[in-house]
Parts: sequence; C-alpha cells; structure tokens
Amino acid sequence: MSVTDAREEALATEPGSAPASGAPIRQTNLWKDAWRRYVRNRAATLAGVVFVVVLLYCLVAPILSPYDPNKINFTIASQTPTLDHPFGTDKFGRDLFTRTALGGRVSILIGFGATLAILLIGVVYGSISGFVGGRLDNGLMRFLDALYGLPYLPFAIITLQIIGRTDMWTMMIALSIASWFTTARIVRGQVLSLKENDYVRAAKAVGARWYRILGRHLLPNTLGVLIIAIFLELPGVILGEAFLSFIGLGISPPDASWGAMAQEGRTVFRSHPTAIIVPSVAIATLVLCANFVADGLRDALDPRTRET
Amino acid sequence: MLKFIVRRIFWTIPVLLVVIFLTFTMMRQIGGNPFRQSERAVTEATQRNLEAKFHVNDPWYLQYAHYVKGVATFDLGPSLVVRGRDVNDIVATHFPTSIQLGLFAFLFAIVLGVPLGMIAALRHNTWVDYSAMFFSNVFHAVPSFLIATLLIYFVALKAGWFPTSGWTSWEHKVLPSIALGFGPMALFARLVRGTMLETLQQDYVRTAKAKGLRYRRVVGLHVLRNSLIPVVTAAGPLLGFIITGSFVIELIFNIPGIGQQFVDSVFNRDYSVVMGLTVLLSVIVIVANLVVDILYGILDPRTRDVRA
Repeated sequence: MSVTDAREEALATEPGSAPASGAPIRQTNLWKDAWRRYVRNRAATLAGVVFVVVLLYCLVAPILSPYDPNKINFTIASQTPTLDHPFGTDKFGRDLFTRTALGGRVSILIGFGATLAILLIGVVYGSISGFVGGRLDNGLMRFLDALYGLPYLPFAIITLQIIGRTDMWTMMIALSIASWFTTARIVRGQVLSLKENDYVRAAKAVGARWYRILGRHLLPNTLGVLIIAIFLELPGVILGEAFLSFIGLGISPPDASWGAMAQEGRTVFRSHPTAIIVPSVAIATLVLCANFVADGLRDALDPRTRET
Repeated sequence: MLKFIVRRIFWTIPVLLVVIFLTFTMMRQIGGNPFRQSERAVTEATQRNLEAKFHVNDPWYLQYAHYVKGVATFDLGPSLVVRGRDVNDIVATHFPTSIQLGLFAFLFAIVLGVPLGMIAALRHNTWVDYSAMFFSNVFHAVPSFLIATLLIYFVALKAGWFPTSGWTSWEHKVLPSIALGFGPMALFARLVRGTMLETLQQDYVRTAKAKGLRYRRVVGLHVLRNSLIPVVTAAGPLLGFIITGSFVIELIFNIPGIGQQFVDSVFNRDYSVVMGLTVLLSVIVIVANLVVDILYGILDPRTRDVRA
C-alpha cells in the first residue's frame, strides 16, 4: 500500500470522529508502522546495524588504511592478527584488514547487482503471468516448474563459459540467471491476489487502462514483498559468488573478492588458517545479518505471515 | 491417488525435455567446433570423419533429437578430450562416490537436525530454544568451505583423529560428510521447530492432552508424525544445496566425485562431459522433486488436487 493510499484510508475510516474533542490524532502510515515493528525486533535491529557496519567498513577501510592492499612484502607474510594488522596478513604479506574490505566491495556489489537483476526479471515475468492470467499464466508457470529442475551451480558455470569472461559483471549475470524463479513466483502470487481487490475492480470500472492498473495499483503494492525479497536473495548470491570463486571458476586472484580470498587462503590453510577464516567469517557475518534482516522485514511489512 | 501419481509422472516428461533443451542450447552457445584443425593436428579426412561421428554439421534439431535419444537410452555420448572414454564411464566411476557423500551428509543432517528442532520447539522460548536457534542460524550462514577447513585443521591435523583427504576407508568419509551436512542440519532444525510449534497448537493435540494421554505419547504419536512432513518436502530443494556443496567439499577433501570431475571438465573444455553431467544432475533434481511430490501427496492428502 502506498503512502498516500494509507493516509486516505485512515482519513476515510474515521469520518468526523476527530475534531469534535480536539484531541490530536496520532498520525501514522504504513512505513512508520513497519519501522516501529522492525525496531521492536531486537535481533533484526542488531543484524541491521551490523549489516550497515560491514558495508561502511568495506567502503571506508581501503581509503583510510595506510597499507596498499596489493603490495607484496614477504617479510611480513602469513601473520596472525596483530595490532598493526588486525586481521593478520596473507601469504604475500598483504594486509588482510584492507584486502577484506576491498574483496567485500566486489562481493557485495555482485550480491546487490545480481539481486536487482533477479528482482527485475522476477517482477517482469511474475507480473505478466499474474496480470494476464489464464492460459499464458498456466504456460509460464509450467515453464517455471521445469526451470526448477536446473541445478544452480552448474548453470552459473555454463553461463560464465558462454560469456567467456569472468569479472564482476559477468558474475552478476551468471548468478542471477539461475535464481530468479522464486521471486517470479512470489510476485505472480502477489499480483494474482491483489487483482481481486475492490479498488482494482473500481479502477477498471471507471475505465483505467491496464498499464495504469498495473503501474498504479498492483506493482506499488508488491513493494513490501520486493524489499523482503532483496534480503532473501542476497545471501544466496553472496554464497554463490563465494563458491564459484572458491572452486576457481569465479573471480580469480590477484583480484579480490571474499570467495577469491578464501580460495587463496585454502592453499595455505594448514600452516596459516587465518587467511581463509577471515574472508569466510566476513561472508558468514553478512549472510547471517541478511537472514535476520529478512525475517525482521517480513514481520514488519507483512504482519499476517508472522511466525509463531 | 493412482491418478495423481500417474499424472505427476507424465508431467515429468515435458519438464525433462525442456531442461535438456535448455542445457543443450546453452552448451551450443559456448561455440567453437572442438574438432577444429587449429586445436588438433588432424588430416582433412579425419576431420570429416570426426564431424560425421559427432553430428557436428547436422541442423540443431537433429542434434537435439539425437541427444535426447541418447539420454533416453542412458548414453551420454563420448568424451571430447579423453580418447575412448564415454561420459557414461565417467559417471560410473565418479557418481557412486558423490551419491555416498550426499547420502551420508543427509543422514548426518537428519539425525542431528530433527532432534535439535524438536528440543527447541518443546522448550519454546527458553535458553535451550534460543541457543539451538542461534546455532542453526549461524551454521546456515557459514559457507561449507569454512566448516570443512576448520574440521581438517582441528580434527584431522591437530588432533589426528581422521585423515585430511581422500575417499577410501570409512575414516576418510566422516569429515566430508559432516562438513557437507552442517548446512542442511541447520535447515532441518529450523523447519522441524517451526512446524512442531504449529502442530503443538492444533486442536487434536489439545484433545489428546485433555484425554489424559501421557506427554511422551502426545509428542511421539500426534506431534512428531505431523511435524515431519516438511522434512520430506525440504528434501527436494536440499538436494540442490547438497549438489552445490559437494562441488566445494570434493575439492577441499580431494574426493574423486562428480563435482570435481565437472570442474576439471570445464577447465579442459570437455563440453560433452560438462553437458552430460549437467543433464544428469538436472534429471536427479527433477526425479527427486517428483518423489517428494508423490510422498507429500501420500502423507498429506489435502495437497493432491492442488498440485497437478
């Protein structure tokens, strides 16, 4: 429900009850309500804060750090955490505090980029399917059923082989191509149920064109679901990048991503486990926070589905 | 019920055709005739023979039909790189290992995850519940390669209880199965806890309690049986998770399974092996979904008509 709709509804449902006594009515709207519900969830709030801290760390640390993340210096190679190097150094003596932030930039950019692509494909496919309905809907959904048979990682790998180049952008494409199915289903379900609402029938009755109904009434109302979907899809993509890079088919060293750093760390983990633990813990932290944020957002934006 | 099963099985055929078609189309996009003279020194005649043997010059639909025929007769064609070796041979050598690994991981996940979820639900909102859920949230987020390397580092290298890599004796199989099973275990725990909390609030559970049935009997007979249905349904999606995970785990523990073979084939540009393995994995996922749907229909009759 958009902001103005909510406000109109709030006004409409309380006709004339307000001004008589002069008592102020507490103004609220959907987003304020959602924010209040979200903040009440302590785990989700903490996760949100940590999430932002990780983002800020990735953004700021490489700028402020005194170390060049690519400078090789074997005299300080494979150090465990010290005061000078809070995360230690890798086998080439590069500062892991700086390098993890740099790798985080790549991993997180891939994560958000692929998630946005997933949402885009999902919204187009899902809203067409749900809005048009009938045979087309049936056909599109059957096709989607078939796509669910595709194993995720092999298809991402094949996509990368087709493009023939592995960088941040191609990773986004490869990771989104095999994982938009769930979002398409969610959007379709949402559009399908919204379509039956009275205000849509009213809009149709007064002669609104299909694009107006879709753009003004249906899609804005899926916004809440889409915001949740961002945090539902993000962990999968971040882990997907990590796995692909880890098996050597994704971002490859000397470029840094969390997966690529873990791959580098794997070669020396018997003598120097810090190098693989640091990027892995970074991945785990972000994924864990995203999961909690998704839970919190679901409770806040869609209270009907609250878990017991 | 029989009608439901038959319909469901027949529906699998077009799904298989679509998935094979997609794989086939994608593999064609990678392009390049593997028998180009630039890649190997062969005479003109050999070149022609090779092209004829592998149907390189047929139109795409004939190639597709040929491939589908091959898949239907369990013949995935020859390897393009290793002379005299069929994809079937590769599957026969490496597949049992991967299946074994997947099954052990699954077993580990069920044996630990289900009781963990049960205990958490029965001790709802106590510290037992909170710590079980914290534990499962964390292990759901941690990438499997971190669990694997930590296990190798502490349990194999430091303590020396198990070998660090390989896949021969049962000792070799313990650590990889645990490393792969941790994620699914966390998922099972969460699922079982969720449905169990739901089931505990059902009327028939209250009735059973009111009848004066003993606690053990209520939980064992009424609650547990109905809470295990989602474990069955989660098995389908989990299979994808395990396939993805096995790519990584096989690499770390140096296990000669399908995942490692797949990655090797990508590096060697042995595309017929890549394609054969992808189709094989897809078929497994599709068949698993089929089995899950049928089991679900048997366990929960309400779902039969909804899912065609």
